[in-house]
Amino acid sequence: MNIVESVVTQIQGLSSSATDIAALHTYLKQADESLHTESARLLPFLDHLDPSIHSLGYLYILDACTSGPISEEQAKTLVLIFARFITSCVAEQIRLASDKFVSVCKRFKDQVMLLKAPMQGVAAMLSAVRKLQSSSAHLTTLHPEFLQLCLLSKSYKTGLSVLEDDIFEVDQPRDLFLYCYYGGMMCIGQKRFQKALELLHNVVTAPMSSINAIAVEAYKKYILVSLIHQGQFSTSLPKYASSAAQRNLKNFCQPYIELANSYSTGKIAELETYVQTSREKFESDNNLGLVKQVLSSMYKRNIQRLTQTYLTLSLQDIANTVQLNSPKEAEMHVLQMIQDGEIYATINQKDGMVRFLEDPEQYKTCEMIKHIDSSIQRMMELSKKLTTMDELMSCDPLYLAKAGRERQRFDFDDFDTVPQKFNI
Amino acid sequence: MASSSSSGLTFKLHPLVIVNISDHCTRVKSQMNPPVTSAANTTSNNTNGAGDGVVTAVSAAIPPPRVYGCVIGVQRGRTVEIFNSFELLYDPIAHSLDRAFLEKKQELYKKVFPHFYILGWYSTGSDAEESDMHIHKGLMDINESPVYVLLNPSINPAQKDPPVNIYESELHVIDGIPQLIFVSSSYTIETVEAERISVDHVAHLKPSDGGSAATQLAAHLTGMHSAIKMLNNRVRVLHHYLVAMQKGEFACENSLLRQVSSLLRRLPAIESEKFQDDFLMEYNDTLLITYLAMFTNCSSTMNELVDKFNTAYDRHSRRGGRTAFM
Repeated sequence: MNIVESVVTQIQGLSSSATDIAALHTYLKQADESLHTESARLLPFLDHLDPSIHSLGYLYILDACTSGPISEEQAKTLVLIFARFITSCVAEQIRLASDKFVSVCKRFKDQVMLLKAPMQGVAAMLSAVRKLQSSSAHLTTLHPEFLQLCLLSKSYKTGLSVLEDDIFEVDQPRDLFLYCYYGGMMCIGQKRFQKALELLHNVVTAPMSSINAIAVEAYKKYILVSLIHQGQFSTSLPKYASSAAQRNLKNFCQPYIELANSYSTGKIAELETYVQTSREKFESDNNLGLVKQVLSSMYKRNIQRLTQTYLTLSLQDIANTVQLNSPKEAEMHVLQMIQDGEIYATINQKDGMVRFLEDPEQYKTCEMIKHIDSSIQRMMELSKKLTTMDELMSCDPLYLAKAGRERQRFDFDDFDTVPQKFNI
Repeated sequence: MASSSSSGLTFKLHPLVIVNISDHCTRVKSQMNPPVTSAANTTSNNTNGAGDGVVTAVSAAIPPPRVYGCVIGVQRGRTVEIFNSFELLYDPIAHSLDRAFLEKKQELYKKVFPHFYILGWYSTGSDAEESDMHIHKGLMDINESPVYVLLNPSINPAQKDPPVNIYESELHVIDGIPQLIFVSSSYTIETVEAERISVDHVAHLKPSDGGSAATQLAAHLTGMHSAIKMLNNRVRVLHHYLVAMQKGEFACENSLLRQVSSLLRRLPAIESEKFQDDFLMEYNDTLLITYLAMFTNCSSTMNELVDKFNTAYDRHSRRGGRTAFM
């Protein structure tokens, strides 16, 4: 008890300036063991501290008192305490003990899931993520936890706001895998297939020394999304994918590759029969919804193929070519596609003819100017980043050691020998 | 020494003379051994003086050398028009200009330009000096009232007028003794079409590798940028003034307001839908090209980065790793 009280008084005293905080941090690290032994009695002491001022101390005590197993009734009160702490803590203080903060937030997430109320955790986790990041391009371990909560609570929009940031730094490789996988799922939920494709592509081509389960699941979804969005799928992974992925991923996703093959034939009946036969496999992977979307995208793909051949076509002909049941269904499909902006056409209802048009974008509006301008700005940011990275790399001793070997033996202008190795 | 001239002559100076004098001065300065840095004369522009304090001390002790020459032109009635100039050597012992050379040159010029006479002489420096009067008197036998053109070679960025002064000699009575002193006269700069083109060209001097397209584009865009900046500044000054007038800080000046409103009514020059369409389409095209250029730039940086990364970290290094040159 005395230890705890002394800790509490220290926290209250040393939480004002940066040097004090550093001293407090060392003190807390030493007192951590003793705090853990007293974990059962720590809860009432939390009331003495204010999370917005004594964030670091509060964090340590909170961590210590929740380190044991927690029952469901305790969970309800603790969730509130956690949420209050996370929303009001000070970012600089908690960054000093970032792994403690991460484990505290993970425990928070576990309890929220235990209570089956993921919605409660979303706002708190969002603020936790923002506080832990050192910049908006930094991927922390909390990002995938946050995205998982968003997925479970179906609050896709909050998740999407985090996904908009470009990532340049990653803490742990596993974070990247999980982040991109969950992000891909969220984008699929919002029907933003292009971004989902990018994220899943990142998972599949990320460097990995051996196959992991996340990559396998991501590959399955990647196949399905690329079928929906692009209408085609190539089984060969790009050259920059790791060799482990290139060799092994296909073996785990056999049913999906067969699906892609039958999709490429263009015959709906075949596709449907295949889906029926492999239904259980798709269901066990929770991908049945996506597979159904693949089916409906088949019709769209066929209608789009028609725009390249015909200028006008009757609805009856469309129904026959695309193997729909009636011109009415064909009209509904075409109408849906026009509304989604996937084709440009006009339907003449008097004689049931559809006229396919060109893309009406003239590129002379102010919105287009804004769009291009923002793209140029993004590109300039990226260019600056790349130049700094290039400079960093040029100074890297590993690079300099090897760069000498690659040069010509003789210098071009004067036939002196060129140094083969740069010694720093 | 310099007060307003009362002779009533109007002087017209051609830019060729200014260019000649400055060229002469620069040439002599750079041919001196050791070369004299301009530390002695430049005001605050000398930043490389911080490193070599010794050099600046040396060069501060040696002012840039004075150059001398003759100016020639035409005098019609009360108008003196100075067209051209040529260089002369100064004899420091005799404190006079080289006479024989001057006469030889005069003959040569007479053959080409029969109407031109020697109107006076020029020199460089910041102010007229006593010894100059000696030279001035020496020329008086060729021209009874020579002019003295003085160019100040020090660069003063705040100054807007060209640093050229024209002096005449007048007989003034000082302390009971009649003396010739220099009085400065006003002048105008007169240009012929050919001169305008050459001066324009000199003003837009590009760096030594100016042939490449990149520097030409940069120079073109810099010119446009400075023009737009100047326009922006002036509009801002006007706007500020009008706002202050509205607040009541200045008295309402109706003539100024009328001028501003007439200016505003002249804009916009074209306002039609076809113009908007074409303008936006061309704007979009330019933006797209810029975007493409940025893309290419980024891709090339990325390519270099990836190459370096592979060199540094790639486990499977190339065997026999001589790459082709380039």
